[in-house]
Amino acid sequence: MVNDWKSYQPVLLPAIKDLHEISVYEKNGGYKALNTVLKDSDTWSPGRVTDEVKAANIRGRGGAGFNAGLKWSFMPEPDGKPRYLACNGDESEPGTFKDRKLFEFNPHLFIEGAIIAAYAMHVDAIYVYIRGEYRPFVKMLQRAIDQAYEKGYLGKNIKGSDFSVEMYTHMGAGAYICGEESSLMESLEGKRGYPRVKPPFPAQRGLWGRPTTINNIETLANVPLVINNGAEWYKSFGPDSHPGPVLYGISGHVNRPGVYEYPAGMSVMTLINEVAGGVRGGKKLKALIPGGSSTPPLRADMLEGVTMDSDSLREVGSMMGTAGMVVLDEDTDMVDVIWRISHFYHHESCGQCTPCREGTGWLEKTLLKIRDGNGEMRDLDLLLAICNRMEGRTICALADAAAWPVRYSIERFRDEFEQKCKKTVYAMA
Amino acid sequence: MPEIFIDNIRYEYEKPGKVLQFMLDNGMDLPFFCYHPSLSVPANCRQCIVKAGMPIFDKDKGTFETDEDGNRKIRFFPKLMTACSLDMADGMVIHSHVTDDLVKQAQADNLEFILINHPLDCPICDQAGECPLQILTYKYGPEGSRFEHKKVHKPKAIQLGPRVILDAERCINCTRCVRFTDEISKSRQLTIISRGDKNYPMTADGETFDDPYSLNTVDICPVGALTSADFRFKARVWEMNQTPGIDMTNGKGCNTYLWTRDNLVLRITPRFNEAVNDHWMPDYARLDYKKYNENRVSRPHLKLDDRDQVKTSWNNAELTFGEELDKVKGSDILVIGSAHASVEDNFAFRSFFEQKGAESFVFLPHVEPGFGDDLLISDDHAPNSNGVRALGFQEEDEKSLAKRIESTKPKIIAILEDDLLGRTGLPGQLFGESYTIIWASNHSETTRSANLVIPVTCAAEHAASYVNVDGRIQRTVPAKETLYTNRRLNLEMSMARLDHYGTKFDNWVSDDNRVDCIPAWEFFSRIPSSQQAERWKTSREIMEAISTRIPVFEGVSYDRMDDENGIQLEIKKITEANTV
Repeated sequence: MVNDWKSYQPVLLPAIKDLHEISVYEKNGGYKALNTVLKDSDTWSPGRVTDEVKAANIRGRGGAGFNAGLKWSFMPEPDGKPRYLACNGDESEPGTFKDRKLFEFNPHLFIEGAIIAAYAMHVDAIYVYIRGEYRPFVKMLQRAIDQAYEKGYLGKNIKGSDFSVEMYTHMGAGAYICGEESSLMESLEGKRGYPRVKPPFPAQRGLWGRPTTINNIETLANVPLVINNGAEWYKSFGPDSHPGPVLYGISGHVNRPGVYEYPAGMSVMTLINEVAGGVRGGKKLKALIPGGSSTPPLRADMLEGVTMDSDSLREVGSMMGTAGMVVLDEDTDMVDVIWRISHFYHHESCGQCTPCREGTGWLEKTLLKIRDGNGEMRDLDLLLAICNRMEGRTICALADAAAWPVRYSIERFRDEFEQKCKKTVYAMA
Repeated sequence: MPEIFIDNIRYEYEKPGKVLQFMLDNGMDLPFFCYHPSLSVPANCRQCIVKAGMPIFDKDKGTFETDEDGNRKIRFFPKLMTACSLDMADGMVIHSHVTDDLVKQAQADNLEFILINHPLDCPICDQAGECPLQILTYKYGPEGSRFEHKKVHKPKAIQLGPRVILDAERCINCTRCVRFTDEISKSRQLTIISRGDKNYPMTADGETFDDPYSLNTVDICPVGALTSADFRFKARVWEMNQTPGIDMTNGKGCNTYLWTRDNLVLRITPRFNEAVNDHWMPDYARLDYKKYNENRVSRPHLKLDDRDQVKTSWNNAELTFGEELDKVKGSDILVIGSAHASVEDNFAFRSFFEQKGAESFVFLPHVEPGFGDDLLISDDHAPNSNGVRALGFQEEDEKSLAKRIESTKPKIIAILEDDLLGRTGLPGQLFGESYTIIWASNHSETTRSANLVIPVTCAAEHAASYVNVDGRIQRTVPAKETLYTNRRLNLEMSMARLDHYGTKFDNWVSDDNRVDCIPAWEFFSRIPSSQQAERWKTSREIMEAISTRIPVFEGVSYDRMDDENGIQLEIKKITEANTV
């Protein structure tokens, strides 16, 4: 639990005017980490950088929460041929809208982090895969990249060192699946966004068959902080198992929706009631989807003492995800919400694997039937059966992402579902 | 040697590979749709799922952990695995549907998913009878579906290209067709459009699927989504006989199946032969089936007093042939062999005229430089150029042949199965002063100008062998009856259900489709003994003679060709024979 959140000073999105300008960023300590690493390369060897990031335990902010430094260490030894870093800025999950804030207000922090990551992994080119709908932010990011090139932070022999790296932006054409790391690579290669079968993993065989690491934008933005201040400092934010500053995207029925930066491990209720100004219209809280639409929804009575970190959320049967918290008030029709989420996954399933392609549609159609008052009790068992048949049976996790909200909503809000189904039975009688 | 345990039985394996292929190679059955041995592994149908695990190794002790009974403890992977993409590993344990109810249930579950949006119109669908989805649903599927919503309707009967029609509703998104155009034919003309349960294969806007190998996608489509524009709704597979054959349109000699019903060849599909054509064949070779049915020479034809040809009896044709031969010396006969005819026919043809004292044995190869590609089409349009060369026929071109005829003025020109005039542009009057005899299966410009036309069986009607451009000898099996053969009496011919159980009075049987012709070699065996012909009873017998007399063919026999799916000859020797 983080107690002194009120005195917390944001580090990812500090309140500095025009921080997106490279001069302002530099004036406020920007690119210091990169300069340190490159100038003092004896101390800051690539392996040391990776070790420091690993020690800091930066958990991936894209949803899976894997230790970023550990992921970097999976890259094989350099063999003189190209290697890549792909930065995942394709945030397309309902409830998730944090990366855009970085692109808008602090793009250089992310760029600096990406360059340091490239240095640590001997990468030749960095690709920023950015959601196509983020057109203004693409422009902002590209402007920042151009500035970094002008100042010599990107390109050949960066700041007089032996290290060279190029950085490119790549706009997605608008498919949720392209945020999945292997589909992202397919899309980057100019193909249809289909997940790849693993193994081989991207570090073994990634973009164009070469070793590749895929990191979320926010994850990389944490890297300069770790280099500047050390792993121990970084771990002083929030719980040991899930440390560091987090961008909480709070939306739904709250008075002040938005992206807020606080340490990991913040109390859920504090975030809702104090940070986001409480539930809209003074209503009671009914449910929370803690980390984007794919994470299992929680009932309000389950939130007592729960904090926003992977351990605490796992204990109550949910996940941290992207920390995109969707708050739902007492008037919310859960069947309607879950139907809407299912509609999204049905629409976005890439259609490659049978259980996902057919299961997502079946879920949506059955939920629609219940929502419209035509449900029967057996439909609830059927929904759970469909979820069973989808989970863990596909190449990527989209099927799980589609099944979990349905499964856990039925488990946690069964009364509501049953009520809708019963209504039909009476009407028919 | 590394070992793997599948359904509690131990197997050893030499080469690393995928579990599914290993199971198939060892005769085990596992359902799958997207997997194809010659294409990449997308693991997207999720049908071939198995439970897999590895023994737990105790690093400290250096041994495997065991239970009370001394059996190795197995740590199973948390999820069910797709066997098509799962690499075999030493000590791996696999439980398929045979021993694991969870796997069995998962396979049924997956089939329930596949069938929810797939139209269940098997009685109408063109794929019925050879549809893996239909077959595997019976074997592994659930008893019914709980899906009670409206199915997704996708476009029907879209003409993707000149030869392929798509019924998008039936597509189960296995992506075999897309991968075929990406990886094999490399035209990249197909892709999947749209998403989720709405997606299906399609060409780019304004593009047509005119890949020269497009019909292979119809073969590998595991449902009736892609159909051949030519064969669509023509016949049901269970009414047809499926007979192994060889492609007659190209020197590559793709292995084929001829599909016949009521003595008509209705389609040609590729037959797997790793050494020649893998699973594939070009489109134009498939559409060649028509020549087996249409425009056939039936009964001998004779030109009387330089007027029109008339049909005549076999007896008369044989007598006329004998009389014409008696009129001339052997050196007055020009013998033109054929790269379009079999080794056996060319051999019998040559040996007959050799005994008559003929000295000129030539043939005209049918090569079009630049026609071929890197895959299965060679420049050679004939199936047996190497075979004729190996038999010692001298290679000529149009000019040298014309010059030879003009200078030597042969009294008889004997032509075997080759439309010399039609395909080369040689003038008809070239043969004017000679008595022309042709053994032909189809009418052509050459048959129309000939003095005597002997109808012979086509590749679909006889057992014979052909040597492809790479020097591989392969044989055909009769697929069609002639007037003188009978499916029930000929042991080489396959029989469909209707052949077994049908009667003469069934209305699908018609005698009209039996051509009045005989194999060319048989004609020479029929000529009276005064002509000193060598006599053969079967083409098998001829091949035995060839293999003992001609070194290149040493050790070749029908049995070996059957067992080994064709025999690679020493191509060098063939070239030598050619230079003699």
